[in-house]
Amino acid sequence: MALMFQSDVVQYVCTCGQLKPISLMYFCRHCLKLRCGYCVCHEVDSHYCSNCLEILPSAEARLKKHRCQTCFDCPNCLNTLAVRATTVSVRDPDDPNKVNSLKKYYHSCFFCRWTTRDVGLPDQAVQTVSANGWSQKGESNIQRINVLLEYVRLLGMQERHEREQREKKFTPRSRRTFTHHPGLTAAHVRKRAGLPPELPAPSTIRDNLAEFQPAVAKEEVASLPESIFTEELDIDQVTTLTQRLAQPETQPESIVDLIPSCKHLCTKRSQRCRGCEHNVSKPDLNPSSIKFKIQHAASFHVPEVRLVSVQPLIGSKECEIVIVFSNPSQQPTTISFITLEEAEAEAQEHTEVTPDTSVPQGEAPPSLSSLTRSPPVMEEPRPVSIAVTGDVNLPTADVEIVLAPKDDAAEYDDSSDTQQFHDDPQIVVHRRANKASLRLTVIPHADKAGQNCTIGFGFRYTYINRISTPASASFEPQKVQLSSRTFLNCGKIKESQ
Amino acid sequence: MSSQASHESKSKSDLKISDQALVCHESKLRGDITIGPNTIVHPRATIIAEAGPIIIGASNIIEEQAYIINRLRPGADPSIVQVMEIGSNNVFEVDCVFESSMMGNQNVLEVKSHVGPGVEISDGCIIGAGCKLNGNERLPEKSVIYGSDCARRIAMDKPPHPSLQIDYLTKILVKYHHLKKPRSAN
Amino acid sequence: MELQDIHYNKAEYVETASGNKVSRQTVLCGSQNIVLHGKVIVQSDAIIRGDLANVRTGRYCIISKRAVLRPPFKKFSKGVAFFPLFMGDHVFVGENSVVSAAMVGSYVYIGNNVVIGRRCVLKDCCYIEDNSVLPPETVVPSFARYAGSPGVCVGEMPECTQELMVDLTRNYYEHFVPAPQ
Repeated sequence: MALMFQSDVVQYVCTCGQLKPISLMYFCRHCLKLRCGYCVCHEVDSHYCSNCLEILPSAEARLKKHRCQTCFDCPNCLNTLAVRATTVSVRDPDDPNKVNSLKKYYHSCFFCRWTTRDVGLPDQAVQTVSANGWSQKGESNIQRINVLLEYVRLLGMQERHEREQREKKFTPRSRRTFTHHPGLTAAHVRKRAGLPPELPAPSTIRDNLAEFQPAVAKEEVASLPESIFTEELDIDQVTTLTQRLAQPETQPESIVDLIPSCKHLCTKRSQRCRGCEHNVSKPDLNPSSIKFKIQHAASFHVPEVRLVSVQPLIGSKECEIVIVFSNPSQQPTTISFITLEEAEAEAQEHTEVTPDTSVPQGEAPPSLSSLTRSPPVMEEPRPVSIAVTGDVNLPTADVEIVLAPKDDAAEYDDSSDTQQFHDDPQIVVHRRANKASLRLTVIPHADKAGQNCTIGFGFRYTYINRISTPASASFEPQKVQLSSRTFLNCGKIKESQ
Repeated sequence: MSSQASHESKSKSDLKISDQALVCHESKLRGDITIGPNTIVHPRATIIAEAGPIIIGASNIIEEQAYIINRLRPGADPSIVQVMEIGSNNVFEVDCVFESSMMGNQNVLEVKSHVGPGVEISDGCIIGAGCKLNGNERLPEKSVIYGSDCARRIAMDKPPHPSLQIDYLTKILVKYHHLKKPRSAN
Repeated sequence: MELQDIHYNKAEYVETASGNKVSRQTVLCGSQNIVLHGKVIVQSDAIIRGDLANVRTGRYCIISKRAVLRPPFKKFSKGVAFFPLFMGDHVFVGENSVVSAAMVGSYVYIGNNVVIGRRCVLKDCCYIEDNSVLPPETVVPSFARYAGSPGVCVGEMPECTQELMVDLTRNYYEHFVPAPQ
């Protein structure tokens, strides 16, 4: 819900310094850190067409230019085209008096009513036509593009050769890294490490490179056709920029040259923690499945903060806000508040010293040994770039609030909760299942009237780590103390009277 | 379009429904309305003849929440009766608004489309979903209005005839709905 | 922001044994063909056209004010057939939206003023932004976010969309309470 309504009300600070709503974050169970889309490694697992939902293996997808071969976009409005069947009566070639009815198919857009007949494309005899019959017009450039691609590929090979020569002198083969090569992800590294392809001799590469012809600029440009000066322009016959850019190969100027373009493929991606290279999210391969093989969204591990109600915010006056903490885990968790500065210091401590609960460096499980070759490519966390426009009075750090574990069965149980928690009624307003509503006071800054009141605080929470480390073979969940920082946007500050 | 006639008092008795028409009881009809044969008016459709009579031809489909109104224009002379004429084989889809005084045949007003008072619709036009037309013009035949910018083009063919749908609806709607009785047969 | 209580007039709504809350101001045509699978809210002036074909919704669906659920038809050479409209669990349909899809999966969010064309297929966990128009027969894959007219994919939904939608619809149901007398 945080996402559905007002995603910017409560934001968490990611390990990398980004501010994100918790629904967009991941939690690495090995590093015990929050990760967001910017600090995980995205890997494409599968390609599929969003219309026919057919999966294409990535090699085939690349061969087909990442486009579906059976689904088409309308060149006029970019909606997906539908296949329509018509019956055409054809005179029998043997018996001129007999008329055969034949099923023919053509493509039509349900949105703008464009059809393949509009531009004179012949009807097809089969329902699933391949695009080959239509998109011949852009061929003229393909040869040159292929030549250029080959050139760049050879250049890359030459570069790699040179680097390998250099590295051979210093590092043993097994310690080689490719990580500073642009575009190489950990997945490529692993593939590489398993099977380094043989390179051709450097001399042949050099010879091949020398054969290429660079592009030559033309002196003469084709002159404008005569008709452009004499004939009146019909604006309805000219393509729009969007239509032209949708067909980069031909970039037709007149609408009669529009041809259906193959639909782009979509991807399913898995996310990998950049620190330890464990997956934080891995979807099921099937495009219509919403299941995950691995899913460690932050909202499954980290207590979620939500804003419930805010009293009118008046500059330098104490205002009451109510927030609710909910515990997503199956174990009870204890929460205590800390200031932003304390939480930041703790976060830095975490980045510097590897917590002993996570995988010790250099002792990765044997199955992941190839991963250790690539050093963690974590960047320095960026400073948080949000201005706090209100002070919040937090309960002292020794006030501990215990949240009951999440119990899915409790949804069906209407019996009221047994109050077994000894809470300070000044702080805890209300409790229900795994949630506790807390009352805090906020003092908005007087000089920020008219702006949004942003408050920030840190909180510590207990987390049960269920990852068995290879060092300790015995499986034993460990209780660890983690901290997180959140920023709340409480709404506009009113002028103080 | 507009004819000189005496300004009669409007009452429910002005409703003229053809024998073969099918008008659901939950529809809202006000004023002097004539509904031609085979026309189907779904429940919750609204037709209001405020400024003058509305004459709806044969084989039209008027779906739920469609809103057809012959509105009194501000500043118009109330003594001039303004007639709204709707031809045949038109489809008014859910939530569309039609305020113009003239529509030809075989047009489709898609879901949530809006045709303002100054727009005359000829034949075979399609006003796409969510498109709003205001201003004064006459749409050429087979016009298609589509998209968020109300882009236009001329289609090759007219939209399909709604007769098959009408056949099915006449069979099915009588089972579930009370109908408004025809008042006068043409 | 946590959802605030939404008050309704107790006299206006009927609550069934399975927890459906249906306004009396709705038009449920052919109610014998409409199955609401429990804890479904149908708000004022919504229209469900069960007379055209079967309409089935899962649990915890929210049909907002003036929304229309209308089974789609398809033309064949010999006539017209209306297809049933199936809707999964935890689906939110915004105000003034017209849904004529063949199938709406589970955990789907449809914004306000949206047009879902005939025979569209909305897979699980997709999101249709406000004022979008999906042309007939559009397929919206899982975790896609569609917007515009014609609706195109403009983004992705987070991996935890299922939980977000469960949370949203459950919360909505819990906060949809009769106005205090």
